[in-house]
Amino acid sequence: MSGTKPDILWAPHQVDRFVVCDSELSLYHVESTVNSELKAGSLRLSEDSAATLLSINSDTPYMKCVAWYLNYDPECLLAVGQANGRVVLTSLGQDHNSKFKDLIGKEFVPKHARQCNTLAWNPLDSNWLAAGLDKHRADFSVLIWDICSKYTPDIVPMEKVRLSAGETETTLLVTKPLYELGQNDACLSLCWLPRDQKLLLAGMHRNLAIFDLRNTSQKMFVNTKAVQGVTVDPYFHDRVASFYEGQVAIWDLRKFEKPVLTLTEQPKPLTKVAWCPTRTGLLATLTRDSNIIRLYDMQHTPTPIGDETEPTIIERSVQPCDNYIASFAWHPTSQNRMIVVTPNRTMSDFTVFERISLAWSPITSLMWACGRHLYECTEEENDNSLEKDIATKMRLRALSRYGLDTEQVWRNHILAGNEDPQLKSLWYTLHFMKQYTEDMDQKSPGNKGSLVYAGIKSIVKSSLGMVESSRHNWSGLDKQSDIQNLNEERILALQLCGWIKKGTDVDVGPFLNSLVQEGEWERAAAVALFNLDIRRAIQILNEGASSEKGDLNLNVVAMALSGYTDEKNSLWREMCSTLRLQLNNPYLCVMFAFLTSEAGSYDGVLYENKVAVRDRVAFACKFLSDTQLNRYIEKLTNEMKEAGNLEGILLTGLTKDGVDLMESYVDRTGDVQTASYCMLQGSPLDVLKDERVQYWIENYRNLLDAWRFWHKRAEFDIHRSKLDPSSKPLAQVFVSCNFCGKSISYSCSAVPHQGRGFSQYGVSGSPTKSKVTSCPGCRKPLPRCALCLINMGTPVSSCPGGTKSDEKVDLSKDKKLAQFNNWFTWCHNCRHGGHAGHMLSWFRDHAECPVSACTCKCMQLDTTGNLVPAETVQP
Amino acid sequence: MFVARSIAADHKDLIHDVSFDFHGRRMATCSSDQSVKVWDKSESGDWHCTASWKTHSGSVWRVTWAHPEFGQVLASCSFDRTAAVWEEIVGESNDKLRGQSHWVKRTTLVDSRTSVTDVKFAPKHMGLMLATCSADGIVRIYEAPDVMNLSQWSLQHEISCKLSCSCISWNPSSSRAHSPMIAVGSDDSSPNAMAKVQIFEYNENTRKYAKAETLMTVTDPVHDIAFAPNLGRSFHILAIATKDVRIFTLKPVRKELTSSGGPTKFELHIVAQFDNHNSQVWRVSWNITGTVLASSGDDGCVRLWKANYMDNWKCTGILKGNGSPVNGSSQQGNSNPSLGSNIPSLQNSLNGSSAGRKHN
Repeated sequence: MSGTKPDILWAPHQVDRFVVCDSELSLYHVESTVNSELKAGSLRLSEDSAATLLSINSDTPYMKCVAWYLNYDPECLLAVGQANGRVVLTSLGQDHNSKFKDLIGKEFVPKHARQCNTLAWNPLDSNWLAAGLDKHRADFSVLIWDICSKYTPDIVPMEKVRLSAGETETTLLVTKPLYELGQNDACLSLCWLPRDQKLLLAGMHRNLAIFDLRNTSQKMFVNTKAVQGVTVDPYFHDRVASFYEGQVAIWDLRKFEKPVLTLTEQPKPLTKVAWCPTRTGLLATLTRDSNIIRLYDMQHTPTPIGDETEPTIIERSVQPCDNYIASFAWHPTSQNRMIVVTPNRTMSDFTVFERISLAWSPITSLMWACGRHLYECTEEENDNSLEKDIATKMRLRALSRYGLDTEQVWRNHILAGNEDPQLKSLWYTLHFMKQYTEDMDQKSPGNKGSLVYAGIKSIVKSSLGMVESSRHNWSGLDKQSDIQNLNEERILALQLCGWIKKGTDVDVGPFLNSLVQEGEWERAAAVALFNLDIRRAIQILNEGASSEKGDLNLNVVAMALSGYTDEKNSLWREMCSTLRLQLNNPYLCVMFAFLTSEAGSYDGVLYENKVAVRDRVAFACKFLSDTQLNRYIEKLTNEMKEAGNLEGILLTGLTKDGVDLMESYVDRTGDVQTASYCMLQGSPLDVLKDERVQYWIENYRNLLDAWRFWHKRAEFDIHRSKLDPSSKPLAQVFVSCNFCGKSISYSCSAVPHQGRGFSQYGVSGSPTKSKVTSCPGCRKPLPRCALCLINMGTPVSSCPGGTKSDEKVDLSKDKKLAQFNNWFTWCHNCRHGGHAGHMLSWFRDHAECPVSACTCKCMQLDTTGNLVPAETVQP
Repeated sequence: MFVARSIAADHKDLIHDVSFDFHGRRMATCSSDQSVKVWDKSESGDWHCTASWKTHSGSVWRVTWAHPEFGQVLASCSFDRTAAVWEEIVGESNDKLRGQSHWVKRTTLVDSRTSVTDVKFAPKHMGLMLATCSADGIVRIYEAPDVMNLSQWSLQHEISCKLSCSCISWNPSSSRAHSPMIAVGSDDSSPNAMAKVQIFEYNENTRKYAKAETLMTVTDPVHDIAFAPNLGRSFHILAIATKDVRIFTLKPVRKELTSSGGPTKFELHIVAQFDNHNSQVWRVSWNITGTVLASSGDDGCVRLWKANYMDNWKCTGILKGNGSPVNGSSQQGNSNPSLGSNIPSLQNSLNGSSAGRKHN
């Protein structure tokens, strides 16, 4: 410690106190500020701690080093080594009546004055204080004082007392040390060895020396330059660190000839090296002019005994503050906590964290290990659904049978939580597609049906060059607009958009009514207007304004609408084109855009991105010529594909284009669930066989398996095999007869030519069922059940496990159970088996196989088999 | 958003790794105390340690589960220069009744001359394969040709990385369009500016792993690396724990555009870079869908990262290492305000480019 740079020390016992020393000693008290505000006058040390100054002691000038008395003392007794070699005991307490009263102010004076470099209290004999001093040719450099010893005036040479000439209380001077060591040498650092009370390790001028106080004539030493800052690992008493310039040497006292390890050299000289008192093998080092504390986590250091392993040291650096650090101190008990002080005496309190390792479980919970502890963290259930991750969403949707409603296809978006407009649009599209495919197939079985699932893009393309426009009258207005004549394809497109219903009727009335019912007045009004019915539009808006949930402003809009004039340069037109952009609702906005647009140019409507794609497409089908329409649909399709917007499935249908679109959707969201179910809704086989589609399906099945949603996975597979029969797995197991080696399966289709009368062994209901105890091939008897000892193939008469009670409760369930009880089961390991029902009831109470002398633990062999499907656990 | 609870781990020294099995019902931990513990989750959601045994003669760095299709199989790697494969068996003793299961060592992989720093089973579709990496800079890929016999492992490939390896990650994609791929990170701390992440890809023609990509921008020591579960995406996502959290995407350039047979070419984009951990980032882990990334770092916190629909990654949760919540004031790192203000602009530009790629 130099005079200008502050040093810092934690109190060894009062763990909330520390002292900062430069030219004076300042005692601080640390408080947690987690649950309280920062008190006036206290200094913030970290986010959750602050320090208050308790007292200042400036009695001891020329401080060179400070050491805290190791026994518990409420008065904070400190030893201070001074520039003249004297060691003074001082206190930071206010109470001068303590038991240490006699000690305070005591001075220990060496024969010759020179700088005191280091102080060390003996950890076992608390009265022993070792002081290390600079070299003097006629004196010793290591002096061990007993702080309780009395004044001995006759030994003190007169010139040594000169420095304290003004003092009257000479009884406080002690000049006779207990031990004197290291003659004509310098001592730079000291530490007591915990192995024995009388062993002292000293960093001398050019060597490290171990002094044994039991025999002071002997010392063990090793020549080295690394003599500064000797310190013993508190967890490993043979391990010592010392340093020289930028290099730290680690020593093993059992093999003291050379360092077992030297750490990578720092470019700047080190100022402090300290072992962490709360953790094994963690060494902190500090260099001059640095704001970084380097930590060496010594997982393994070489030992003199055992094999020569290379060291594993994890090097870390922490940056407790922005300024250079003057000194630091580990907290004696708080795990990995330290306090640092900068040259201008700002302090900060921080903790060095252990490396946390972590892992996600498949069921969105996070586990991590910090130090020796494990923490598990689960997502709270009552979360806002918008913030939920797709993993959670997919899990919940799988539980709610999302995607499996194949009749009312649109309902799937409600199963998905009714929260995502894109999903809503998607499932409505798929619903309409399914509906009109069926419709088409009824009308003309054959070609057109597949076209529906190919999307509006293909539908529109197929009708190229057949449509002419005609002028139509506005209802309620003296105005005419060009509207395309609707051919079959355009009608189909409008149907898919949901504007018109099944049949040849092109009336949007029912659609408007349903929109009004759902409270979508703006959209309804816009659709009415696009069908040239301004009166209906106004009426709808009025209705909306007067309804409970509606917006009163709709009346104002209705008013504005009613003022419509066809004149090109009217004020109405001018104001509408500018003010419409300020309308928040996109549908209100496009209504005015439509009214103010030039004939044939509807960009204000077509490119308003906030308007649903289906409405824009329907609008385009009504107003655009074939070439325009094609160009528009093409452009919109590409836009949707780029963005992965599910509304675009309306355009692409379930085609290769649709797969492209879905690919961007999956890339963006990871929602393979929607992708799988959507593609399984009615894609042609070649689309279904697309590598990407197969890959989504595979990934989704894998997810369900990981979640143990095995029932859901099975349901999904059934659903899938309806559209893609090739995905059906082949029969997995054949049981073959011991004698003839043929399958004993009763399925006639599997073995069609199995000899005469095979069908008499047929499945349930057959009167001969009870006789089926022999192989259908060779008529030899089947093996016996290990429990009832009756040949397999007999129905299980009773089950001691207690299924009887269920019999009356649920007949159908019991029937199924009874059939399952009849199943052949056997252990793959010991090859013993029997009726499934008997086996199950046996293993309810036993671990070992029922066959005598077989110790196979059949039921425990398969860990996955013992897992319960998650669906049955879920609420 | 998240609540944490503590579990009495009872390890005698630092825990180095936590790993879940495929179903998330079992967990393995390993520690400097040279042991591995296996935990089973009860129906009530509590974890019970069902096995604890000494696995190595040094710190155990990593532990990992094989797919349950191959049985209840664990692999561990250690400072003692070995990796080991363990299998749970139902023994003759009545351990199971006492709630304890029995694990036996099936093999010890002794090829490394130095500490084995990571071990990972390959994705299921590749069969029973295992990759290890070691401080001597070699990635080794082993295969059990007979999945019924876990004591036979043959060393199939040795890939030299030239740098001390710290972590590996298999690309989990099972798509036929993607070749087997493994990413390797190095924690080499020597001050040379060499790239610390290399990606190797299996070439069907040469039957060898060849370097497909080197992340030139990652020059600081890498402590962990993780491919996100692919989940049907057309590209791969790679998270890297170095002096900050980095997320890269690797989009394979369509095969027909490249010369067939050669390594796949990738469009490499960095989509996120966060230095909120202030200093070193130690671990990264993806959730099952690859949509949420958890990271841990020197600030002693666990942070969660998630992308919004614009592919804009944001921090969605912070937890302290001891499970306590972080109070709002400290969400922005306190040590370096200037960096804190730089990152948003960097983020914007990054996201701007990626958003542009997607939506224009």
